[in-house]
Amino acid sequence: MQKSIEHTALYHIMNPEHIAMFGASNRFAAMGTNLLSSIKALGFKGDIYPVHPKEVQVMGLKTYASVMDLPVVPDLAFIVLPTNLVPEILEACGKKGIKHAIIVSGGFKEVGGDGIALEKKICDIADKYSMRFVGPNCIGVVNPHHRFNATYFPYQQASGFIGMASQSGSFVTQMFDYLSNFGLGYSAGISVGNEANIDLVDCLEYLGACPNTKVISLYIETIRRGREFIDMARSIVPHKPIVAYYVGGSEAGKKATFSHTGALSGPDKLYDGIFRQSGVIRAQSIEEMFDFCLCLGMCPKPEGNRVIIQTHSGGPGAVAADVCCREGLKLNPISQNTRKKLAPYVPHTGSTNNPIDITYSKNPMDYYVSIPKVLMEDEDSDAVLIYFLMPDHSVQRAMEGFGITGEKAVEQTGVFIDDQSKTVADLLKGFSKPFIGFSFYTRENRFIKNLQDKGVAILPSPVRAAKAMSAMVQYVNLREKITRGGKKAA
Amino acid sequence: MQVKNKSVIGESHHALSEYRSKKLLAEYYIPVTEELLVRHPADAVSAAEKIGYPVAMKACSPELMHKTEAGCIELGITSDDGVLLAYKRIKSSVTVELEGILVQEMVPGIRELIAGLNREPQFGPCVMLGIGGVMTEIINDTVFRVAPFDLVEAMDMMRELRSQAMLSGFRGQLPVDLETVCRCLVALGDIGLEHPEISEIDINPLKVNQDGRVKAVDALVVFSPENRI
Repeated sequence: MQKSIEHTALYHIMNPEHIAMFGASNRFAAMGTNLLSSIKALGFKGDIYPVHPKEVQVMGLKTYASVMDLPVVPDLAFIVLPTNLVPEILEACGKKGIKHAIIVSGGFKEVGGDGIALEKKICDIADKYSMRFVGPNCIGVVNPHHRFNATYFPYQQASGFIGMASQSGSFVTQMFDYLSNFGLGYSAGISVGNEANIDLVDCLEYLGACPNTKVISLYIETIRRGREFIDMARSIVPHKPIVAYYVGGSEAGKKATFSHTGALSGPDKLYDGIFRQSGVIRAQSIEEMFDFCLCLGMCPKPEGNRVIIQTHSGGPGAVAADVCCREGLKLNPISQNTRKKLAPYVPHTGSTNNPIDITYSKNPMDYYVSIPKVLMEDEDSDAVLIYFLMPDHSVQRAMEGFGITGEKAVEQTGVFIDDQSKTVADLLKGFSKPFIGFSFYTRENRFIKNLQDKGVAILPSPVRAAKAMSAMVQYVNLREKITRGGKKAA
Repeated sequence: MQVKNKSVIGESHHALSEYRSKKLLAEYYIPVTEELLVRHPADAVSAAEKIGYPVAMKACSPELMHKTEAGCIELGITSDDGVLLAYKRIKSSVTVELEGILVQEMVPGIRELIAGLNREPQFGPCVMLGIGGVMTEIINDTVFRVAPFDLVEAMDMMRELRSQAMLSGFRGQLPVDLETVCRCLVALGDIGLEHPEISEIDINPLKVNQDGRVKAVDALVVFSPENRI
């Protein structure tokens, strides 16, 4: 089942060397022009050949009147043209020997009527020339690692490890900025559009083989090749987690009625079963999907469901504990041995029950280093959740308490926070146990930003952190089930 | 005596009767109730004696789908006279042509599951497992898998039920024979793959007796419209 990435249908679409660009001109409002601008903006290293019947030069690039005139056979045709022009251009690309295309243009099956026949026509042309294409009616693709952004939106974020295939273009492009709020980015983003040729199953195949993708995310409204989806997912899950956010019901699901139980067999429940059988973790929202991706991509996987929570504030710890229990995670009492090791760090007001509530730290680094180290070493637990709180101003106030004032205090605060976050991140690297931090502070806060940038998973609330921990346990269980049962479900 | 309602569907032979439905399930090693199909009152009595009292009696016809039409099922019959009376009442309660009257063992136990097969155009045959009984719609606890799947996956279906605690022992009921339930689920999927003419199967209930064994007490096999006889 697993092909090498070079042999997947999407390889040349995601990693092109030479692009024939259709639809870019010197009219700056044109969609094609904007897309060419996006490609150039991210610093694409390959060659771009605009094809236009009238233009001589577009954005400083030599422009060709026909695809037949191009000096090379490009590995990708990027088509952003009025609907009625698409078939003849695709045919010309086929004749030229181009094997891959992205068709952004809409007006096909999604509009019904003549659009259906037109879509059939482009599918037939693609088959005739053994071409594979993404779209039509899509927003494009992005591969930041290849400096290739073929979408309307600028990609200004870092390259990341999340590989996304989406039946909504918006959930590819409009997430660029959202992901950067967590220091995340895409390894690949594919807007599948009408899936006339390349569909979610092809995307899974590519993302499963993609070395930059540590975790796969899917936005799904319908699965067109059901059995193939299940088999492909099961072949990937043993080495890479897949998270999906599914919305709506399939056309088929709406009709599904078990005669005794018509009311019981909603498509939603059917999809619950399908995802579980596929080994895919189902998220309940887009935000949750990326929370799960963040932790699955950054943390080692837990060996079981026993969690220890560390806090110095009662409320956030209690919330984390409550959600852990609802999610089926276990909060066992802390072992005698670990309690003994914790004793020097916990003041008399604190508690070494689970959650471990320190209340206050005698030494600030007890909370962030000494105690987490003891918990990570604890042999009777599988995962650690810690409440993170280090506001710049309180560090600065402490500095001032030591007599450091003015600009010196600001500078020293920064140095202190940088040092501490490095110490925390370095400590965690030594363990193969998952650790998720939770905080109501965001990347505006230097400590949180530093930790995230150094690979520490931190989510913006105890609820989200506990749910993500549960998703990681779920992944391990699904992986174990599939490995035991065989990659093919049969 | 309990009376269960059944409805009459006019369209002819788009389904198998309960008796023939269970014969098909039994070929796939799905445990079904011990039962005999009879056409005369005297045969009903000897069937009941052979199976052992108490027995259930049901009108049997491919045209009798689930629900409504009072009187075509009688449960908990304990004597020869009861059999004769039930035979007469069932006969007079239905107007459709019958394959016969089904005389069937009563399966004691308080736990009921439902299991079934349906087709989803994008996934093919899908198998369903749920908590059965009179409150099945209220409890609304069902899980699905796409055929084919293995016993590991079938076991995972049971873990996915919210009311999975019902499958362990409680109140004098022994734990459910999970392996047999798993085999039933895998078998339903296999039937779906090997019989494209079948659009739907319902086992309702798949009853669990006190010692944890399961048996299909009622079953229905429906054909897809293009395959109706």
